[in-house]
Amino acid sequence: MTRTATVAARPATDGRRLRPKLDQWICWWSIPIFYNLFGLIFVYFTKIMPPPSPGLTQDEIVAFIRTNATNLQIGFVLLALTLGLASLSSGIIVVQMRRMSSARVLAYAYLAVLAVAALPGCLFCGFMFVLAAFRPDRDPRILVLLYDMGLLSFVGSLGCFVIQYLVFAIAIVLDKRAIFPKWLGYMSIWGLVTELVALPSWIFRGGPYAWNGAISFWLGTAIFVVWEVCLVVSLYGAVKRQPLDEILA
Amino acid sequence: MNTTDQRICLWLVPAFAALLLVAFWIFPGFFPPMSPTMTAEEVAAFYREHVGEIRASMVIVNLCGISFIPFFMVIVVQMQRMGNPSRAFAYSYLSAAASGATLFALADLAWLIAAFRPERDPQLIQLLNDFAWIAFVTPVGFIIAQNLCLALAIFMDTRRVPVFPRWVGHFNIVAGLFMMPGALAMMFMDGPFAWDGLLAFWVRIGAYCLYLAVMFFVVRSAIDQQASEDRLAA
Repeated sequence: MTRTATVAARPATDGRRLRPKLDQWICWWSIPIFYNLFGLIFVYFTKIMPPPSPGLTQDEIVAFIRTNATNLQIGFVLLALTLGLASLSSGIIVVQMRRMSSARVLAYAYLAVLAVAALPGCLFCGFMFVLAAFRPDRDPRILVLLYDMGLLSFVGSLGCFVIQYLVFAIAIVLDKRAIFPKWLGYMSIWGLVTELVALPSWIFRGGPYAWNGAISFWLGTAIFVVWEVCLVVSLYGAVKRQPLDEILA
Repeated sequence: MNTTDQRICLWLVPAFAALLLVAFWIFPGFFPPMSPTMTAEEVAAFYREHVGEIRASMVIVNLCGISFIPFFMVIVVQMQRMGNPSRAFAYSYLSAAASGATLFALADLAWLIAAFRPERDPQLIQLLNDFAWIAFVTPVGFIIAQNLCLALAIFMDTRRVPVFPRWVGHFNIVAGLFMMPGALAMMFMDGPFAWDGLLAFWVRIGAYCLYLAVMFFVVRSAIDQQASEDRLAA
């Protein structure tokens, strides 16, 4: 296989020499673009972040959906069109994780767990609020159900991200080639902890552990944002430092 | 390298596509597609009246809706043969294909659950029916990401004889554009962008079917090319 591949795949032009990392840079750019869109969708249009309270009365929930219906729809149309960008960020992270001296199993686990996470951790919330906004005249009890299903799936789909942080942290800590800085591995443990402190949001309807609370939401989100910025910067460094002969081999 | 595994996955496409076409034909709500403007009582009556056809068609979709995954993985294998600097697009494609498949499963569940107790409160039947249609028609982002990744990988393929000809890259982008209007069905009750509309339903499904048909033949050529290269190198 290796021998045949080198015979067959010898480049005809020097395109790879001119822009040897173009595919990785395109995937890299998908991350800041996606998170800007994510902010636009969840903060500006749909007002799902920061989340409205789980303690709202039925009338308040109905009012949130009815006054916000068009914005919920615009936001989630944008999400339906662009959520695939998240796949591109997995693509580049797996390429870089495969370069590590730690086993490739962690890279593939990272890829698989994020492919799973897209629906329960993000898009499902969109479906629930679109179903509410599509017919805001539904029975108010159904609107409350959709509100709970949307916000709990969004804030409370924890396991996917626990595994994401876990395999990423293990890969970095074991890696002897220092593809990513070691501190990013330890920081990923912090990311994992933020998922654990969000667990009580399945029980509390008010206070710091509710889905909009100081710990379950604000602390977790703050650490996530810092982690994501560090990831993007470290990823930039990893691609930049990747030796060309590794690519052109 | 032996290409039998890829050929088996390739030929699963026409087999499962035929079954899905049967399901599409049996489902009573596609010709014409059910309108979002139907009242809850009309939707509930529709389910009571057609419960047998709905179950029959959606049980087939339940079995076959995920069936294009092996074919998409053949494309991943072919992308790994390309003269790309890295496998970033191949992995991105794999991830997008897996995420996208979950949505067919979700839509199918909602249709079948609605048909399970058609005597349920009409508001709840309408809710499940809305869920099924919205999950089926609107989340086009993953297939668009797949097409975009494949197109970019094709454009960057530096092999002397590329794995896919360049027009396949352009074709992927155009097919992705024609699937985009589906997302707008989250907003519209009628007109071309509603879930039963010309653009959101017919153009999008037509683009998807045409896409699969064309990709079947170009992927088959790519596998043939791989087999003959392997013979020469052996």
